[in-house]
Amino acid sequence: MAILKKSAVWIGYLAALLALPQFFDSVLAVSIFNQMAIAIVFGLSYNMLLGQGGMLSFGHAVYFGLGGFLAVHALLMIEVETVYFSIIWIPLVGGFIGLLAALFIGTFSTHKAGTVFAMISLGIGELLAASSLIFVSFFGGEAGVSGDRTFGPPFFGIEWFQNLEIYYLAVAWVFIATVFMYLFTQTPAGKMANAVRDNPERAEFIGYSARKVRYITFCAAGLFAGVAGGLFALNYEFITEENLNAATSGRVLLSAYIGGLGYFIGPIVGAVILTLMNSLLSNYSDLWMLYLGIMFLLTVMFLPRGFAGFIMMHQLAWVRGKIKSLLVPYLLTGIPSLLFLISVVGLIELSHTDEAELYYFGLSFNSTAAMDFILIAIVALGSLLSIRRSLPQLRAAWEAANEIPESVDEESTS
Amino acid sequence: MTVLSLNDVTKNFGETEIIRGVSLAIEKGEKHAIIGPNGAGKSTLFHLISGLYNVTSGSIRFKDQEIQNKQPYEINRLGVARSFQVTNIFARMNVFENVRCALLWSSGYKYSFWHLLGRQKELNEKTMHVLEQIGLQKKALFPAGELAYAHQRALELGIAIASGAEIIMLDEPVAGMSHSEAEGAVELIRRITEGKTLIMVEHDMNIVFDVADKISVLVYGKVIASDRPENIRANAQVQESYLGEVVTSA
Amino acid sequence: MLDVFIFATLNGLVTGLLLFMLASGLTLIFSMMGVLNFAHASFYMLGAYFAYSVSLYFGYWTGLIFAPIIVGVLGALVERYGLRRVHQHGHVAELVFTFGLAFLIEEAVQFFWGADTKNYQSPDLLDFPLFTLFGQEFPAYRGFMIGISISIFIGLYYVLTKSRIGIIIQAALTHPHTVSNLGHNVPLIFMCVFGVGSALAGVAGVIAGPVLTTFPGMAVVLGSIVFVIVVIGGLGSLAGAFIASILIGLLQSYAIASDVGMPDLLNLLGLEFDRNHPLTDLWTLTLPQIAPILPFLLLVLVLIFRPTGLMGKREQ
Repeated sequence: MAILKKSAVWIGYLAALLALPQFFDSVLAVSIFNQMAIAIVFGLSYNMLLGQGGMLSFGHAVYFGLGGFLAVHALLMIEVETVYFSIIWIPLVGGFIGLLAALFIGTFSTHKAGTVFAMISLGIGELLAASSLIFVSFFGGEAGVSGDRTFGPPFFGIEWFQNLEIYYLAVAWVFIATVFMYLFTQTPAGKMANAVRDNPERAEFIGYSARKVRYITFCAAGLFAGVAGGLFALNYEFITEENLNAATSGRVLLSAYIGGLGYFIGPIVGAVILTLMNSLLSNYSDLWMLYLGIMFLLTVMFLPRGFAGFIMMHQLAWVRGKIKSLLVPYLLTGIPSLLFLISVVGLIELSHTDEAELYYFGLSFNSTAAMDFILIAIVALGSLLSIRRSLPQLRAAWEAANEIPESVDEESTS
Repeated sequence: MTVLSLNDVTKNFGETEIIRGVSLAIEKGEKHAIIGPNGAGKSTLFHLISGLYNVTSGSIRFKDQEIQNKQPYEINRLGVARSFQVTNIFARMNVFENVRCALLWSSGYKYSFWHLLGRQKELNEKTMHVLEQIGLQKKALFPAGELAYAHQRALELGIAIASGAEIIMLDEPVAGMSHSEAEGAVELIRRITEGKTLIMVEHDMNIVFDVADKISVLVYGKVIASDRPENIRANAQVQESYLGEVVTSA
Repeated sequence: MLDVFIFATLNGLVTGLLLFMLASGLTLIFSMMGVLNFAHASFYMLGAYFAYSVSLYFGYWTGLIFAPIIVGVLGALVERYGLRRVHQHGHVAELVFTFGLAFLIEEAVQFFWGADTKNYQSPDLLDFPLFTLFGQEFPAYRGFMIGISISIFIGLYYVLTKSRIGIIIQAALTHPHTVSNLGHNVPLIFMCVFGVGSALAGVAGVIAGPVLTTFPGMAVVLGSIVFVIVVIGGLGSLAGAFIASILIGLLQSYAIASDVGMPDLLNLLGLEFDRNHPLTDLWTLTLPQIAPILPFLLLVLVLIFRPTGLMGKREQ
């Protein structure tokens, strides 16, 4: 039964990935899905490092980027027929390079977790990013290097001219990578990674070298980051220094954190949210990075376990069948919260716009009229007051739904 | 047969001498308690034996191997397991996984990333068995960090004994427990260390005299007496420097 | 040759002292709270921007005084309402919080001031050459930067060693737990140290803004180098941070001023090289080219061979 349930989740996951282009088939949609696929693998590999192994990295893009660069170079080699294989294996090239880099760097960076690890990862990231601008023949300087994925032997007649074809290839790799990363969490090395994250000292007293456990996790994370880099190379057919620098490393941290560290599906959620924000929100507002920053800080402060953690918080209430009692209080707080959010964003946009007229939620506002600012501010203030009034109710309902009677506390799960 | 011996072990922290030449021999199957006033160096001694600290001088032998320069995980693999005075568990994992992790190395899995733990029937049964021993089978899926204190202490013990190590070192196993909880814990300790060598640091003299068949008294980094419980009780020097006050107040 | 050396040394000192102004605040904050504040350089950037805005209306000198105060207050608020809240989730969460803050501040700066470089100028009063050596002028403003940095350090040194609060902070550097047990209002001290540290970064921003240009990327440019310094010096060691700051300032300055590279080395060894060799980038490498990566190279080397840093004692 349990196995059936588990494989149902996996089949559902695969089906969802495969079905996406059936619902949204525009060029834009497919390109977003490709980004999403890359972000999922990269995010999951980051979660291996931070969520599972407790290693905070500010330089995870190194493995992504190196994998990507070598993948593009592999494409170039296929083009001139130095080597000749189908491009479906390109992500493996990336993964191999990511693994090699991690095997080397891990020997000295996994000595400690915490701040020291974070600093080494930052240093190596900066070092590589700066070097990539010096070693132009390999990294291509500011312009990067580009290749062409349509050479090489066709795969069952597919010659990879279209992004949609690449999407299905990416789905295959995303699925394989996800399965393997999940299985890794269920192995002795994967579980010990959790143990070392929680308590490296104690791990040493049950027979495990914390350093070696970290090293293994680190290498596995490098491998899958490289796979993501390979997918990137296939999708965009070029790669630049930007893909291995601190900004890319930072973005994967953001996405994994917002999605929810420590939950396997967290980074998937994060990758979806961030890709959507990146590609959709950026069409509407050039301030989307500002909103992302605010959202990230709020997540760190109020939802330390991310969106996945927020959903999982409701498990106990769900198991007890008390989830319904939360619905009304949630609506009472949620609706004004949404209103507050919308009006604050409206204020920000209105003060930022260069146009005299701003269309926002179907309404037209005049950015030069003080009256319009005051109007939105009143809505914001009103919804804030309403939140303050309904919040205690929500809190009470929450406590009632999650109250643990002494005798039945074993029914809760981790 | 002597399983663990300390020869003139010293430990300095900077200028301060914490352990000042300790020699001890612990026999196989012995229940050995180390007592002494606060700051005598009992926990430091534990840390030295288990490899958390390196000795400043002297040697520690486990059977026929010198272990004073070994890493904690190497010493653990030889068959020396320990618990901690301050609860030291894997807080974000559940109880079952805490214990299972403690079983991994001794079950021969090493750093494997090709075994799926869900399929290791024998390992999972062993884990459940340990959970039954420490009375936590009903809490198997509970996050360790959210357990009640007494249960955390039981888990602490469980992690220490899970691997079936030959020598089990317990650092104040009943610290902070109520009287009835402590009684249960003593029963537990007795049960799970049967046939094994036990080294224990404990402040509660009733428990020490109840469990131990040999007692060493550590005062200011030196062993001033190491003998059978009845002789320790009669020892004038021990009375004067430590026991008197504690026994009467306990 | 000598003139190059002297000017490189002076410029290295200017950079080094500037870096130390950032590194000292970062070190103080780290020692007290165990947090490496990723957003520290962002406060430096805010210092420059606030000073720029103030200077538009009231001139440079008013900016020099008020910008650091604003930044300091902002820093204290961040500690009080942000960091303290996150503290309960552990150091990783704190580090991530400051990282997010750095991200947000960069975006906010672009929101309020725009993405372009600001024309933030040094005051006319200091617009003259301090001295001329071998026909080269040394701007008075750089001399002023050295003067400000050094006087701040002397002030800081006095506060740390002579005042009561300084002694408490000193104690907290070495025995963080004991201090709170002694019943001092540690949260308040934390908030103040964070505020003062941020204000110091603000001062650095005010005086560096006109020289290093005021633009939204200025935090990123300096931020990671300051991190490097704090780690190389040994986390939590003020003396180490000082040595590392000067070291890196000079190192970079010499590397940029120097005119040697691999071709010279190969010539010296009497080796020829092929222009079309795949490793040609390596053979044509020059010292000025690798100047930007030197700090990171040094960081990685130090962390491999001496993980506690130059002067660090405390194991993590």
